Amino acid sequence: MIGKNENSSYVTSIDWGTIAIYVGLVLLGIVNIYAAVYDNTSGFFDFSSRAGSQMIWFGVALVLAMFIMLLDGKYYYTWAYPIYWFSVLLLISVLLFGEENKGAKSWLMFGGKDGFGFQPSEFVKVSVALALARFMNEYGFNLKSRQSLIKVFAIIGIPLMLVLSQNDTGSALVFLSCMFMLFREGLNPWIYIVGLVLIALFVLSFLFQPIAVLIMLMCATLLVSAIISRSWRDKLTYAAATTLLSLLVYFVLLCFTSVSYYVSLLVAIVISIPLVVLYSWRRQIYSNILSTIFFVASVGFTFSIGYVFSKMQLHQQKRILDLLGVESDLDKWGYNVHQSKIAIGSGGFFGKGFLEGTQTKYNFVPEQATDFIFCTVGEEWGFVGSAFVIGLFGLLIFRLMKMGERQREAFGRVYCYSVASVFIMHMFVNIGMTIGVMPVIGIPLPFFSYGGSSLVAFTILLFVAIKLDSSQKEIFY
Amino acid sequence: MNRYRTLQITVLVLLGILLIKLFSIQVVDDSYRRYAFNNVLQRNVQYPPRGEVYDRRGEYLVKNKEAYDLMVIPLEVKQFDTLELCRLIGVDKERFKKELRRARNYSRRRPSVLFKQLPKEFKLRFEERNFKGFYLQYRTVRSYPRKMAGNLLGYVGEVTDRIIERNPYYRMGDNIGMSGIEQAYEKELRGKKGVKIEMVDVHGINRGSYADGLYDSVAIPGKAIHCTIDPKLQMLGEELLRGKVGSVVAIEPSTGEILVMASSPTYDPDQLVGRDRGNNYMKLLNESRRPLFNRAVMASYPPGSTFKTINGLIGLQEGVVTTQNRYPCHMGYTIGRGVKCHSHWSPVNLVEAVQTSCNAYFCYVFRDIIDNKKYGSAKAGFAVWRDYVESFGFGRKLNSDFTNELNGNLPSLEFYNRAYNNRWNSMTILSLSIGQGELGVTPLQMANLCAIIANRGYYYIPHVVRAVEGSDSIDSRFYERHYTKVDSKHYDPIVEGMWRCVHRDGGTGAIARIPDQDVCGKTGTAQNPHGADHSTFMAFAPKDNPKIAISVYIENGRFGATVAAPIASLLMEQYLTDTITRVDLVQHIKNMNINYPNYDRKK
Repeated sequence: MIGKNENSSYVTSIDWGTIAIYVGLVLLGIVNIYAAVYDNTSGFFDFSSRAGSQMIWFGVALVLAMFIMLLDGKYYYTWAYPIYWFSVLLLISVLLFGEENKGAKSWLMFGGKDGFGFQPSEFVKVSVALALARFMNEYGFNLKSRQSLIKVFAIIGIPLMLVLSQNDTGSALVFLSCMFMLFREGLNPWIYIVGLVLIALFVLSFLFQPIAVLIMLMCATLLVSAIISRSWRDKLTYAAATTLLSLLVYFVLLCFTSVSYYVSLLVAIVISIPLVVLYSWRRQIYSNILSTIFFVASVGFTFSIGYVFSKMQLHQQKRILDLLGVESDLDKWGYNVHQSKIAIGSGGFFGKGFLEGTQTKYNFVPEQATDFIFCTVGEEWGFVGSAFVIGLFGLLIFRLMKMGERQREAFGRVYCYSVASVFIMHMFVNIGMTIGVMPVIGIPLPFFSYGGSSLVAFTILLFVAIKLDSSQKEIFY
Repeated sequence: MNRYRTLQITVLVLLGILLIKLFSIQVVDDSYRRYAFNNVLQRNVQYPPRGEVYDRRGEYLVKNKEAYDLMVIPLEVKQFDTLELCRLIGVDKERFKKELRRARNYSRRRPSVLFKQLPKEFKLRFEERNFKGFYLQYRTVRSYPRKMAGNLLGYVGEVTDRIIERNPYYRMGDNIGMSGIEQAYEKELRGKKGVKIEMVDVHGINRGSYADGLYDSVAIPGKAIHCTIDPKLQMLGEELLRGKVGSVVAIEPSTGEILVMASSPTYDPDQLVGRDRGNNYMKLLNESRRPLFNRAVMASYPPGSTFKTINGLIGLQEGVVTTQNRYPCHMGYTIGRGVKCHSHWSPVNLVEAVQTSCNAYFCYVFRDIIDNKKYGSAKAGFAVWRDYVESFGFGRKLNSDFTNELNGNLPSLEFYNRAYNNRWNSMTILSLSIGQGELGVTPLQMANLCAIIANRGYYYIPHVVRAVEGSDSIDSRFYERHYTKVDSKHYDPIVEGMWRCVHRDGGTGAIARIPDQDVCGKTGTAQNPHGADHSTFMAFAPKDNPKIAISVYIENGRFGATVAAPIASLLMEQYLTDTITRVDLVQHIKNMNINYPNYDRKK
């Protein structure tokens, strides 16, 4: 790049490929919004229709994007904290003055109820990403130090709590996407492993009887600890002994009272644990003790799932049960997902064609222009179109990650990764819920879902990353 | 591993999960396509009018009448005068509310049928008022301008689940012929349903036709059917049968067309139409004399003396008897336990035996057939005899175009072997010689026997339909002559005997005489375990080139000459001369009521 014409350096330093993907996604989104609400009457450029108003928002977003590109990249670093605190303030004011919509109090309205409104929670993603980037760029920051970690989680936690108290669980969950970025920055991988195990246990506890989960856990623990300690014999002996003990307990208890085998197995395990610990301690096989701790913790977690689950809201419980196939109520709780799967599934390989999607056009799918916009893609463009859209998102995410990798400073890298994280989260959860891979969580599909706030917010989020990337190139070339 | 790489792989895995799931629901699993069609497509069935039925003079036997199903779209129902609507329909409020609730549970937005087959008068009154959310759907129902031949025409009913399971043409709510001609000619009469596939949105609101009507089809009306029934004769037959249990079947011998098929007691076919069908059906079903039982084809009776004609014919063909042979009879056949007879001169030859209905004569003949040395044993002889009888259309279905035809009973060799532990001979089964014993024949089979004798040896399969709209001919089997195993020349003495039976003094059927007509007839007085003897008579006329062959069977009517013969005679007179000279006889028969303790006791 050295020796290039200086005048063109600014233009060439911009990642035009990413911008092209962005424009492509937004245009596809508008086309699909048009199809989703199509009723033979409105033309494509009718600005009172949803597609038309999304076009206007696209115009607004482009102007903002231009403004972002013209601003000096340094400002984002300088203003990261003020912007963060300002957005926190906005979230608080939503709690005080916000409008409620579909159970979530997440709108700020200007000029009365029918006036102009926006969702601050959409914009907080930008400010949190900037604040994190700034903080993690600071001298002396170390993810391994407890103090730094606490501060990182505080930066994420404050807006998360505020959004949660707006009763907007979906938007709050998006903040968890930071874990993706934090992994890149070197967070302890065990946190992720434990997290995955917890999720697996959660799912298992719904799909299987407690006794089956218990036996599975026991086998898994024995297997892992056998692999780690490279000794099989004592594990097999333990399994055999525990089985015998549990049967003994079962029949003894049976003499006094009617009892399930599950209880007797639990009793046998409880009796065995001190013996195992004692044995391992004497022989100095510490991995056995670790395995035992893991086992006890896991069993404890499965016991607590029932309690945690009962604390969830009813519709959240039902959505999870529906996803796991434990409960099926296609007329009520499962209706949305069922209809959404019908719309997408009926699209077939090549789709029904533009404006030919009967399920979305005739309103069988609820929220077909906003959260369930992917139904229109699936129904009218089929597997080919769906794969194309998912491919574009994948491309965008990969470019953002690559962008992050080429940043010299942690600031740019953390920011780019944060943006990538947000897109991954939104895309996977949104598309996942329309096809029954994820529970229904009401978050928009970036650039596709109808809505000014989210389109503008995602545009800002993306273009700040592009700007940071290009201004770094400017500096060095 | 490099963390950047790990994250790239993570992203790829997540994208992969989405793509795999998409592929599975969009490409692999096609149930969603079906669900989508169920959501959006509404099949509106277009019901064709059912084919009409004409008699042999070209007048309506069965017509279509407009009827209306009351439909409701629960969501659109506004406050309305429930009592008024109930009064118009003729139901109580509870029933109405129950139906409305059922409709609402099915769908609030889609139409459902509330009450079926309401008459035209209802439509007029319904449309004077404005009941929001209710509307009428046009259907047709059967109507019977001449209220006769209920069992012959049959009735139409709604398909049951079992029918739907077996025949994919039918859907819930379709009609199907349940008996008689309606059932036998269902395929011709029903026509072809059309369908209009329309798209609806989530609110059930019509969004136009699907694929520009590519998959729509027009309803094709059912074909009209021309029946062989002679309306005047049928009507007269039913009138004459009133007060008696039995049936009349008349056949045109030269074609096999059934002119009359009456079964008594009968019912008004209009009773089995419309909204009261179910109730009326149950009522008819519970009546002790069983009006829904079509005795003409479904009852199996002992043929009595009419059957002697067959034994005579077989004897002639087998050469065990000639017209010259005479046998003595002094009040009966005296060998073994014997068979009683009534008083007549003796000895008699074959013609005279038919004329006087001599029991003894046919005992001799029958035993000669069975014990024919040619066959070596009674059993072999019986087998030969049975073959002959079967060729006359007994012991099997005649394969007419009428459903529910009965086989009747013609005992087999095995049957007797089992019954008599292999030890039996011609004496054991002697009752068969005079049409008693284990024989069971339907009135249709007897009428067919009469047609065979009239034709001197062959028959056309009896049938009730002579033409179906749009086709030149009926099934080829109805144009085929079926010969019996007895040669044509042997029929003349039997015909002569039957002629004398009616026209000569000493004949048992003298009451059947018709002025200026050569009538041939044979009486029968069939003993049976259910009470008084059955009165039966079969006859054809004129003797040469016969126009009509008829069989009348009256349960517990005593002698053949008491009831059956006059009925047959009157019907033949009506058919041959189009008038009735014996008005007193008509009145006499019409007013004759027979007592049926065996039916009425059951109540």
